Amino acid sequence: MNLEWNGQERIPASKATVWAFINDPGKVASCLPDLISSNVKDAHSVDATVKVAVGPVRGSFKFAITLEPSAGGNHMDLKISGGGFGSVVDLLAGADLTENADGTTTLDWKGSASVGGTVATIGGRVLDAQAHRVISTTFENVKNQLSGAAAG
Amino acid sequence: MTTTEKLPDRHSIGQSMKRKEDPRFIRGKGRYLDDIVLPHMLYLALVHSPYPHARITKIDKTAALASPGVKAVITGEDLVAAKLGWLPTFHGFDNQMVLAIGKALYQFQEVAGVVATSREAAADGAELVDVTYEPLPPVIDPYQSKLDKIILRDDREAKTNHIYHWEVGEREKTDAAIAKSDVTIKERILSPRCHPAPLEPCGCISDMNGATGRLTIYMTSQAPHVHRTAFSLVTGIPEDKIHVISPDIGGGFGNKVPVYPGYVVATVASVILGVPVKWVESRTENLTTTGFARDYHMDVEIGATKAGKVTALKVSTTADHGAFDAAADPRKYPAGMFGIVTGSYDFPTAFAEVDAYFTNKAPGGIAYRCSFRVTEAAFAIERGMDILARKLGLDPVQLRMQNFIKKEQFPYPSPLGFTYDSGDYEKTTKKALDLIGYDALRKEQAEKRKRGELMGIGVSTFTEIVGAGPGKHFDILGIKMFDSAEIRIHPTGSGIVRTGTRGQGQGHETTWAQIVAEELGLDPQELLVEEGDTDTAPYGLGTYASRSTPVAGGALALASRKIREKARKIAAHMMEASEDDVEWKDYKFSVKGVPGKSVTMKEVAFAAYTNPAPDTEPGLEATYYYDPPNLTFPNGTYIAVVDVDADTGAVKVRRFLAVDDCGVVINPMIVEGQIHGGLTEGFAMAFMQEIKFDEGGNHLNTNFTDYLVPTALETPHWETGNTVTPSPHHPIGAKGVGESPNAGSPQAFVNAVMDALSPMGITHLDMPLTRDKVWSAIQGAQKKT
Repeated sequence: MNLEWNGQERIPASKATVWAFINDPGKVASCLPDLISSNVKDAHSVDATVKVAVGPVRGSFKFAITLEPSAGGNHMDLKISGGGFGSVVDLLAGADLTENADGTTTLDWKGSASVGGTVATIGGRVLDAQAHRVISTTFENVKNQLSGAAAG
Repeated sequence: MTTTEKLPDRHSIGQSMKRKEDPRFIRGKGRYLDDIVLPHMLYLALVHSPYPHARITKIDKTAALASPGVKAVITGEDLVAAKLGWLPTFHGFDNQMVLAIGKALYQFQEVAGVVATSREAAADGAELVDVTYEPLPPVIDPYQSKLDKIILRDDREAKTNHIYHWEVGEREKTDAAIAKSDVTIKERILSPRCHPAPLEPCGCISDMNGATGRLTIYMTSQAPHVHRTAFSLVTGIPEDKIHVISPDIGGGFGNKVPVYPGYVVATVASVILGVPVKWVESRTENLTTTGFARDYHMDVEIGATKAGKVTALKVSTTADHGAFDAAADPRKYPAGMFGIVTGSYDFPTAFAEVDAYFTNKAPGGIAYRCSFRVTEAAFAIERGMDILARKLGLDPVQLRMQNFIKKEQFPYPSPLGFTYDSGDYEKTTKKALDLIGYDALRKEQAEKRKRGELMGIGVSTFTEIVGAGPGKHFDILGIKMFDSAEIRIHPTGSGIVRTGTRGQGQGHETTWAQIVAEELGLDPQELLVEEGDTDTAPYGLGTYASRSTPVAGGALALASRKIREKARKIAAHMMEASEDDVEWKDYKFSVKGVPGKSVTMKEVAFAAYTNPAPDTEPGLEATYYYDPPNLTFPNGTYIAVVDVDADTGAVKVRRFLAVDDCGVVINPMIVEGQIHGGLTEGFAMAFMQEIKFDEGGNHLNTNFTDYLVPTALETPHWETGNTVTPSPHHPIGAKGVGESPNAGSPQAFVNAVMDALSPMGITHLDMPLTRDKVWSAIQGAQKKT
């Protein structure tokens, strides 16, 4: 089952601040909704355990997250793969940063996921909305954390 | 409404005796596999592949083994070491992995087994088995498989996804006849992948006794003896050291014929751990991994004269067999009895071919209460005849009537190689037309059409082929498809009856008692029927393909007659008459020409133990192994009346009549019950059931919210009737009926809906006819006009 979404966040922080944030695997992991634990492996990768509930499938999924920044500081690819409960999820998210005249930064993101196993078969009808929620909340949390930092 | 053709007055056969098994089932006193709990028993849970096609690079058991209660983790490699990695499939032309080795070939394929102290601990342990996969692109569509761009089976020498080509009939002659025909039709008709979904899923308890070396397997088995032999052949354990017990079964429908990985892994676990191991699959496991039904894509061509006389039939089928060729078809018939596709019609020539392919889906194909591919064949020809009738502008009943095989043509050699035993299709159909008031319905339809209302009448005049079968043609694993009966009459005239079949709700405990009671003049209430225990029952091939009454039923009658022959000797001794003067009349032995001198079978039974004739062995029992000379060919005429709501696509089945001819009826109530159940399943196939996959190979119908089983709420009211055309070769003239409603009904529903939609120019829609499919077709047709 292949799914695709996109969205946009306007973050009240400079592009450099946002870029630094999304280059930190620990911070990125902390933005995942329903995070149970995370373990930074190196400068570009982190393992995270996340609580998942899709239809009747409820439990913890383990994800390996890899950051792939492109030179120039404008684009970041995020690879999230893992699963649990007889399910597999491969999620690829791309984020583009644009600095705005008012000092804020626009983060345009695109995500695609391929989902297999129990989650895809049982949760089929609610999966799209659920996965969309996970990815959009993650970027929303990026904004919220950076907004908090700006406010603080 | 039920109308049953009156049978001659008989002692037991033809009586609607209440089912002897029902008090046990109704009161919750049945004993199913999961009711059985043995001391020290462990539980097996299986790990399944989330991918439909993937290399397995590593299986790490560490975390699972450390999980509380886990006693063992078994992988495909472990089974290879025990020489049990692969099993031959039932018709012997393919091998099947027990647990995935190197590669997973369908989603939910079994990859490992975890044995633990409770079902929950086993499930928790299974979650912790860490399998590393490298996903491969899946092949889900057989037409893609055909291209051989991705070869699914590394283990096979031939680097192709093509499994076999099978054909029967005369290709050139058929092609020529079709080319010369005034009118032809050609349609691709799909019999979609569906699943028998018995309410009780599959399971077993394997119990290897280390002290005796004897393996007892309690299993949900429709064919316990075949399973015993298969276990012996595969494991090398001598067959006398294997005891298979098939307890009460909560529905089988062909789903409980194959050998599944759970059985093998539970057995290996019991051998390793020395305690009983239970495996009971979940609903999802049942729907995703065990024997499915159909997936036949059939290109049907029929030629006819302008007047509507059929000239030729050609059917070319692409069959999707899933990852292994695991269909339990007889060796000579890789496409089962698909040759019945000429149906009830007298085709001068015909040709059928089947090409089977592997795909990344669960293996199987022949389950669901009539296959051996008969359901597919009946659907193809009955849809084809309807499409032809429309093209010819003939009433579909008229087209059928003028092409029926006539009563006097039986035994009828069909152009595809079967010899139909008997039938009177015109009589059965006329009865159905009268009972439903066909002409009045057509008038009503004409009026409704004027008002733009969508009413449809669908007819199916099918011929079934059951009772496998003559050992000269049919086998499972090389074992001829005979069946057996053993009858022991006790001194007081009651008895015990055992057969090699195994009922799953069909009412064998009653029907078998009635056959024996009829033959011996005994009380059917005092004849205990026992099946399913390989230590006590005579060897048989099991219950599926509507074979129990045609085969074991024959064995029962002939074993009874052996007893009667011996009883005649004892009766002669009792009445001090010559054996030649003793006749069996009115269910007792009498001396010819001496009125009033007679003894009952009950009296003979007592004498058999207390006063046998001097030269006669004491006791009264017999065994018979019956290899039938031919298959049996039940038939029926089914008529569905539907109303289609053009705005929503909803179909209401207003009436449904099934007139069956299954030869001599042993218990009309049981036959009617069988037909009700089968019609309900046929209704589900026509309107609700399909196993679907998304483009990534994800199985989309893994539970009863996504795979629908009809409840009383949506099930239509069934009307039934019958005609009786006995089978000339069967000892009591019976033909079998269990699968007739499934083979006969789906096309009646579909023909009715297509009849309703025909004014819109819609020719064919594949099952299931869901609301959205019907609505979309109506919308599409309206856009065109």
